[in-house]
Amino acid sequence: MAEEKKVEIEKPRVGVFVCHCGLNIAGTVNVEEVTKYARSLPDVFCAMDNRYTCADPGQKEIKGKIKELNLNRVVVAACSPRMHEPTFRKCVSEAGMNPFLFEMANIREFCSWAHPHDKEAATEKAKEIIKMAVAKARLLRGLEKFEVPVTNKAMVIGGGVAGIHSALDLADMGFKVYLVERDESIGGHMAQLDKTFPTLDCSICIEGPKMVEVSRNPNIEIISFADVLSVEGYIGNFKVKIRKNPRYVIAENCTGCGECVNPCPIEYPNAWEMNLGTRKAISAPFAQAVPLIYTIDKNHCIECYKCVDAC
Amino acid sequence: MPLWLFKREEEGKMIIERAMYAKRFSMIFDRQKCKGCTLCRDICPREAIELKPSPKKEGEKTRHHLVDVDQKKCDFCGMCEAICLFGAVTHMTNGEPVVAVVKAESFPTLTREIAVDMAKCEKDCTKCADACPIKIVAVDPKKPEVNIERDFCPTCTWCQVACPTNAIHVRKIFNGSIKINQESCPENCVECLDVCPLNALHLGEDGKVYADDAYCIYCGACVNVCPKPEALKVYRTSIYHTPVKSGAWNKALEKLTSTQGKEREFRAKILAKATEAVKNRTA
Repeated sequence: MAEEKKVEIEKPRVGVFVCHCGLNIAGTVNVEEVTKYARSLPDVFCAMDNRYTCADPGQKEIKGKIKELNLNRVVVAACSPRMHEPTFRKCVSEAGMNPFLFEMANIREFCSWAHPHDKEAATEKAKEIIKMAVAKARLLRGLEKFEVPVTNKAMVIGGGVAGIHSALDLADMGFKVYLVERDESIGGHMAQLDKTFPTLDCSICIEGPKMVEVSRNPNIEIISFADVLSVEGYIGNFKVKIRKNPRYVIAENCTGCGECVNPCPIEYPNAWEMNLGTRKAISAPFAQAVPLIYTIDKNHCIECYKCVDAC
Repeated sequence: MPLWLFKREEEGKMIIERAMYAKRFSMIFDRQKCKGCTLCRDICPREAIELKPSPKKEGEKTRHHLVDVDQKKCDFCGMCEAICLFGAVTHMTNGEPVVAVVKAESFPTLTREIAVDMAKCEKDCTKCADACPIKIVAVDPKKPEVNIERDFCPTCTWCQVACPTNAIHVRKIFNGSIKINQESCPENCVECLDVCPLNALHLGEDGKVYADDAYCIYCGACVNVCPKPEALKVYRTSIYHTPVKSGAWNKALEKLTSTQGKEREFRAKILAKATEAVKNRTA
């Protein structure tokens, strides 16, 4: 990578390569017209079309043009970047360019495949997409790759059924997982449902065992009744600030026996039951709650301390 | 999902309701019985009760404040029912009268000690019934028989004083004092006199209002309407109630009386406990 050109201060010289993709693109988009249009865009020094840009001849042409015209930005208008961005990045870096100065314009999935019956409009859209890609390419800066240490821990935000399952999968892979949940119990909306499509199985019968498994897994730490205040950092090195909300019950000592619920005089609508049922000022939202720690809602508690006596 | 909350005025009653799938909580405020005092507003843990001045018409007497309950805040705990001197509040769960805090022993009920010795009653005497300012005493002069609606009695002692044969004994629920600083009173102001539900205030010869501690129940209805806050003060020192052990009551007691009033009750409780312990040991 050392021999790659220093391009940050250079004036951009963009090359646009429009791909036919057989008939995938050319069958709908008028490639010649689009290429002609691309030539008229600012800082574009060459624009050409090709039957298969990803094939060897196509790549050879890109490399040749980079050398010949001293291009320092390359835009390929073809398929999705998920498909061939790595291919072209490798291709331009072989020609001595920083691979991050390559930009892809998706005129296949976003254009020709989406509008097969309106060729004129598809052509116009392809022009717009290429115009945007060229504008972005002109502003690109070359990046350097380097290695950084990684924290081998994961955090899952949201303890619904998706969060529970991801936490279990990650934990089974051997990662330490923090499962952060806003409510008092994990479970999310699935815990509220009666039956699940298409088998009409009882919803909590599927989710309940998973919830218990989460609480038993030594690799998973559930941080429930907590809010994520901020997420900073980058992949592998995140710093997350979490606020644990007070339950007014000592979590380590609570066995979840429920003796405190009966003497409590205050009943308020239970949001977990869509306000159709009530819960006491000290209670758990539902019987299968995980972790089963009772919570006092200070908005409703009258502080009679009957629960303290019962505990 | 939104809550089903209802609020309506019906035949002099304000009804608020919280309807749920299997439970229906309701609270009924009797506007006739309510005298616009401050007790329920002072102790409401959710601060859901508000007192609003009643609209005044020209040439009419001032009327007491009107109660308004915010149905969104109310938790139907029943503290207002437990403290109401006039029995103006009723709580229902599924149509059954239930006071949640009293049922859970988180709140005491007021003790109304009213004793009538009917053997001492004279025939054709209706003095107690005539004296009652809120007309809850009924007398059958032929038998003679006295019926007092105890749940609604604010224990003002008018009947006790009026009785010629000392047949009625009433113990006040609230103890305290009422102070009117006549010098601060505005000229010709009789607002407090107009709203007093128990005629515990009277007009002096100098045109100023004087308080009568004998009949005052320290409800605070007069304080609400007094235009000068320094002119009229009501202090409560103790409340006569059933025994209870509850933080909610301690808080309410402190709000109604003072920190000293709360401490006094604590000391009395400790003393009673100690006396009992000594008794048990010696027995």
